[in-house]
Amino acid sequence: MTTKGTRRRRKGWQRYSSRTFYLFASPWLLGFALLTALPLGYALAISFTNFDGRSPRWRWVGLRNYTELFDDADVLASMVRTLAFTAIAVPIMVAGGLGLAVLLNQRLKAVGLFRAIFFLPSVVPMVAAAIMWKLIFNRDVGILNEILDVISIPPVTWLVDPNAFYALVILILWGLGGGMVIMLAALQGVPAELEEAAIIDGANRWQVFWNVTVPMISPVIFFQVVTGVIFTFQIVIQPLLLSQTREVGQVTHVPESTHLFMVQVYEEYFANNRYGYASAMLWVFFLVILVVTLIVLRSSRLWVHYEVDSEADR
Amino acid sequence: MPQLPRRTQLIGAAPAGAVSQFPRPPAGQHISRRRFLTSSALAAGGALSVPLLGACNASTESGDGKTVLTVMYMANELTKEQIADFEAKNPDIKIRFIAHDGTRLNAMLASNEPPDFVRGPAVGSARTNAQGLATELDQYLDKSSVLNKESLLPVNDSFRWDGKQIGSGPYYGLVKDWSQDATLWYNRALFKEAKIEPLSTTEPISYDELLEIGKKLTKKSGGKTQVYGLGLEWAWNLYAPLSMMILQQGGEVYSSDLTETDMTTPQALRALKWYVDFAKAGVGPTSLDPAPDGADLSLFLAKRMAITQDGYWYGGNFVEESDEIKNNIAMAPAPVMGDKRISPTYAGWGAYIPAKAKHKDEAWKLMEYFMAGKPSEDRAKSGWGIPALKSQLEMMPQELPYQKQVYQTQQAELEYAEQLPDSPYIGGATAWDPVLNKHLLRAIKNEVTVEAAGKAITDEINKLLQQGKDQIG
Repeated sequence: MTTKGTRRRRKGWQRYSSRTFYLFASPWLLGFALLTALPLGYALAISFTNFDGRSPRWRWVGLRNYTELFDDADVLASMVRTLAFTAIAVPIMVAGGLGLAVLLNQRLKAVGLFRAIFFLPSVVPMVAAAIMWKLIFNRDVGILNEILDVISIPPVTWLVDPNAFYALVILILWGLGGGMVIMLAALQGVPAELEEAAIIDGANRWQVFWNVTVPMISPVIFFQVVTGVIFTFQIVIQPLLLSQTREVGQVTHVPESTHLFMVQVYEEYFANNRYGYASAMLWVFFLVILVVTLIVLRSSRLWVHYEVDSEADR
Repeated sequence: MPQLPRRTQLIGAAPAGAVSQFPRPPAGQHISRRRFLTSSALAAGGALSVPLLGACNASTESGDGKTVLTVMYMANELTKEQIADFEAKNPDIKIRFIAHDGTRLNAMLASNEPPDFVRGPAVGSARTNAQGLATELDQYLDKSSVLNKESLLPVNDSFRWDGKQIGSGPYYGLVKDWSQDATLWYNRALFKEAKIEPLSTTEPISYDELLEIGKKLTKKSGGKTQVYGLGLEWAWNLYAPLSMMILQQGGEVYSSDLTETDMTTPQALRALKWYVDFAKAGVGPTSLDPAPDGADLSLFLAKRMAITQDGYWYGGNFVEESDEIKNNIAMAPAPVMGDKRISPTYAGWGAYIPAKAKHKDEAWKLMEYFMAGKPSEDRAKSGWGIPALKSQLEMMPQELPYQKQVYQTQQAELEYAEQLPDSPYIGGATAWDPVLNKHLLRAIKNEVTVEAAGKAITDEINKLLQQGKDQIG
């Protein structure tokens, strides 16, 4: 009797607990359902049609869009370019954020001011930042070439190939402050006694950093890598705004070196009005991002150190 | 009291209905987690969908019984004052204004809930018309006392569609104002500095001569361009000027059924080569040497550009400028490539009434007011574009010396106005320009020959045309 009653009470409590959870989670669940799952499903359905985004005249074309995109040289080129951009930009972003965090983790005068200064760019809206950098990069009137001129370096045409690629990387790095704050928090969470113990054992500063600090913050580095990969894969606004794109749906003159996959998707949607084809591109891209993310996740077993052994808890 | 439209009644009833369709469980009976979640999600979804639907599907009548006319236009082209004036003259109509947004318009058209009055270009309307998205206006034009076919300038013909071609058949839209966009504006002071004779304001210059003059007017120093000799608004449009060049040589852009292009013809290759030579000479902004703000105006006003290719509308920029600017600017006819003098409009912005619009008669009233009423007269007098009605041509400004010169040149230019080709199977310059830009750049950088670029452009555009054909049928 007692056991049964306890079980009944626990079931009731459990039900109550679950309801509370779902009730509080419902805004997110609803948002996810209406703003993510529903559009995703809609895009999937469209990817099997020749819908142009506005005309009622469209029809089911089966897998045609999917088979076609594997024959599209521009799509494949933009995919390779995006993978290359990610492979270059993410390590620089993560290392740069960590480097800044290490610098600003020192006992400096007015360190708070420096932290604020470095963090500030990451809160500037990306559109404003891109327009500002477009002016900075201008060959004839941009301040960057004015600075180069002071040190007798001839003006550089930043916004065309191949320099546009580096200009885009610089623009992305300008927002390092966000990653820096997270890294800083991780660094400050590293127990001082561990580093002190290593120093007592004879380790120099580099050895302490590499063998103690980095493993201790490796879960945060891992987080930065995963979010960085997803972020760089999805970059679209920055290359569009650095180029001669006038407005959404209008002409795009994006240099080849910054013509990333999402720019190609943008053109298929808004310049060519190929909603079915572009939706197929996005679904394939979703799978690519998923695979790359899973690879990064799997690799984390080799280099991410967790203080709590999650396997042992099971 | 007027009866509310059925849709409005449904929307008003939706919240209560959405909740009441999920009955409460009998007293004392626990609801399962799954059922609770399903019910919650559906109820919340229903509650959420009401305002969302309401936003997408606004009532077509206001609370006081007025017809709500949904208008999608540019706020600086259809102003608050004009809207208030129209509403005062039409007390039974209230305008719901939406700033023009191509993506939003597409979504509204796709959901069969379009605005009643929409901004749109004449050149590029073929696709909209072939898709059956616009209302035929002839029935309104035939009855109207202020807008009729006889009063329309030929520029409106680009809004006509006979089922196969533009230029004939019913009207599907009307032009607000327009310009012959290949005309040239130049700064005499920069010509004087370079010791070059100013361009003729009556005789067209050839494109080849224009490039040579552009080279002489260009000033470079320390790797930077101090003065550009010639601007082509590269960032705005490549398709229209290239088409014009081809037509001027007697060539064609599309096949007769508008389903194919061939940019490997001698005429097309000559036009492409001119653009390649222009960019290689570095005489004007291109994608390889972009203008800071993507437009020539700031460079022209800063006396850093000697010639810029823009239509009559460009003159509206100078009215408030210094005397130094006003006394030095002049307009020249559109240049020519070949024997045939053609001076087209690249767009001809105007308006159409969507086929699924709910208040077409009221939208036509706005069309009459906007295209033939006070707003059109104000536009004609402003110098920001050529009016689309014959009767308003004489209203174009001639007070300032530069305006007088421009008026005379423009009047002579009207004789050479011609429609640019427009295929319903492709989205006009928006689709052409990225393709043209990409392959022109490769040719400019000597990665491919002009012939190879022409072939690649042909292949890509034909692919898009084929897909458009597949879509429209």
